[in-house]
Amino acid sequence: MREYPSEHNKIVSELLDGKFIISPSPLFYTIQELEDDYVEFFIKSFNYKLNLEAEFIYLSSDEVNEKRTRDFTLFLAILSRELDYSGKNFRDKIELGSFDINETEELLRQSSKWEILEKTTVSEFKKFIKTWRSKNLIEINGNKFKFTKAVKLFFRFAIEIAEEKLKQSLKN
Amino acid sequence: MIKLSGKYILKFLQNHYEFVQDAFNYSKPDFIIDNDILEKLIEEYNISNDPKISLTKLIDVKFYRQLPTKDFKINRSYADFLQFLFDDFTLDLPQTLKERYKTIFELFTALKTESKASKTIVLVQNIINVIDVFLNDIHRQTQRLLNDTESLKVNADEYSDLSKRLEKAVFWIDEYIEPLNKILEKGHPESFYSALVEIQKYTSEKQYVADSFKLKREYKKLYGSVVYARIELDQNLQKLTRELRPLLDRIKSDSIILSGFYHFVENVDYPKSYIVPIPSPVKKTKGSAIFKEFHSEAEFYVDQFNYKTSDVYYEEQIEELEWLPDSTYFKQQLLKEDKVEDFYLWCFDALKKHTTEITLSKYFSLTNLLLEEDLVAEYKTDERITIDLKDASIKIPKVQVYERVSK
Repeated sequence: MREYPSEHNKIVSELLDGKFIISPSPLFYTIQELEDDYVEFFIKSFNYKLNLEAEFIYLSSDEVNEKRTRDFTLFLAILSRELDYSGKNFRDKIELGSFDINETEELLRQSSKWEILEKTTVSEFKKFIKTWRSKNLIEINGNKFKFTKAVKLFFRFAIEIAEEKLKQSLKN
Repeated sequence: MIKLSGKYILKFLQNHYEFVQDAFNYSKPDFIIDNDILEKLIEEYNISNDPKISLTKLIDVKFYRQLPTKDFKINRSYADFLQFLFDDFTLDLPQTLKERYKTIFELFTALKTESKASKTIVLVQNIINVIDVFLNDIHRQTQRLLNDTESLKVNADEYSDLSKRLEKAVFWIDEYIEPLNKILEKGHPESFYSALVEIQKYTSEKQYVADSFKLKREYKKLYGSVVYARIELDQNLQKLTRELRPLLDRIKSDSIILSGFYHFVENVDYPKSYIVPIPSPVKKTKGSAIFKEFHSEAEFYVDQFNYKTSDVYYEEQIEELEWLPDSTYFKQQLLKEDKVEDFYLWCFDALKKHTTEITLSKYFSLTNLLLEEDLVAEYKTDERITIDLKDASIKIPKVQVYERVSK
């Protein structure tokens, strides 16, 4: 039998819980050191892809079609839009700043895009925030919350869409 | 007035400062203004200002000249001065700048081979001028780009169309910043900057070894201009590379994110139109002792129903077909008891042995046994107890029941 690191159990259970492991968590570095082993472990045991990004690690699966991830992306998209409209530097605010939970809910409710959000899990805002805290995408501190570095995954998604669209429009 | 004097021009600018500013703004960036617009401007200005202005006066001070198309064009000297005055510069394409300053190489080559002192002096003076105009241009460009970029960043409302914002940022980077950087690039042999370095080397020596005092003096002036130009250019380069470029890059990438999100929000109901797959972090996975194929098949099966979220399922009524107790059976049980002290309670307890769902109808069908002829009921007290049935709570008296003695 091979030897497992002492945090093995924690690593596996956190990742299988759908959590992001964020640097500088010690788990992050353990996985990074044993990257090849863990990639193989998760694909062979669960058919899940282990994604090691510069600042966070998470499991993904093509078979997963989760509406909650869609909801989170919607939430982030509309929050970015509202911040940009109010003249704020949305990326700095999201990557570095913190948000008042009630004020943010109010900001979203006043958005013309609320009609989309209200049909999603975002409509129960406090519950929504707590759900994503359990995935390590959000940290809550009293009445405030902030995004963890894992939020960059969703920014990258937006960049990929825009670049793909640009390519398409160049073809046409 | 036969000859135009400087003082007269300055007085004109001072007296009609507001008009000049309007005329300048309306005719940017090519400094050409439509005939009708100009007449309207004059008319509006004259309503509330004295001394008044006229087209003749404007032509007299050489502010405007009329083009064959009837449009009016601001005199170049005014245009340059007014740009400086209002700190509002037009952008020249860097290619234009590049072409304009190629002359410096030609002039410098000529200078190095020139033997006549008088020609050398003219060449030196020309190089100083070219450097000066170049510095002025670079300064204007940088200033203008900085202002515009700031406004692009701040006025999200004005540039709420993301694609326009993106387009503008990309255009400025590709068409201005990059070429300007090339013109100024230190290591590049054909850049303006390296021409300056060459001239500096050449004149630092010549200012001491030239043949005459006058020549030494000229070389010294050129040397001073070049050193000053390098400092100025360094500062401009810093603005370009340390402030402007990151700012524009930022606007570009921010706009990209926002436009990607915009596309996503617009197509949110059609995952196939997302273009790229949405991130798919796993859900919470409960460890369970079932093998994967079964799990995924079961999930697939269950998922079919997940779409029908609006369907409402009612809890199935297990006893929808109401059964009634078999009175013969219960009568036998009753008779076995010989004598029952509390008949109604007995009925309840007897039923409870067979079902937890004791309804009013079941209960009554059993209590009807009281009416059987071979049973005697004795009712003595006013005491009542409450029994909770599934669909009702009833108060019942205490009744003794036993079999008729005749048996």
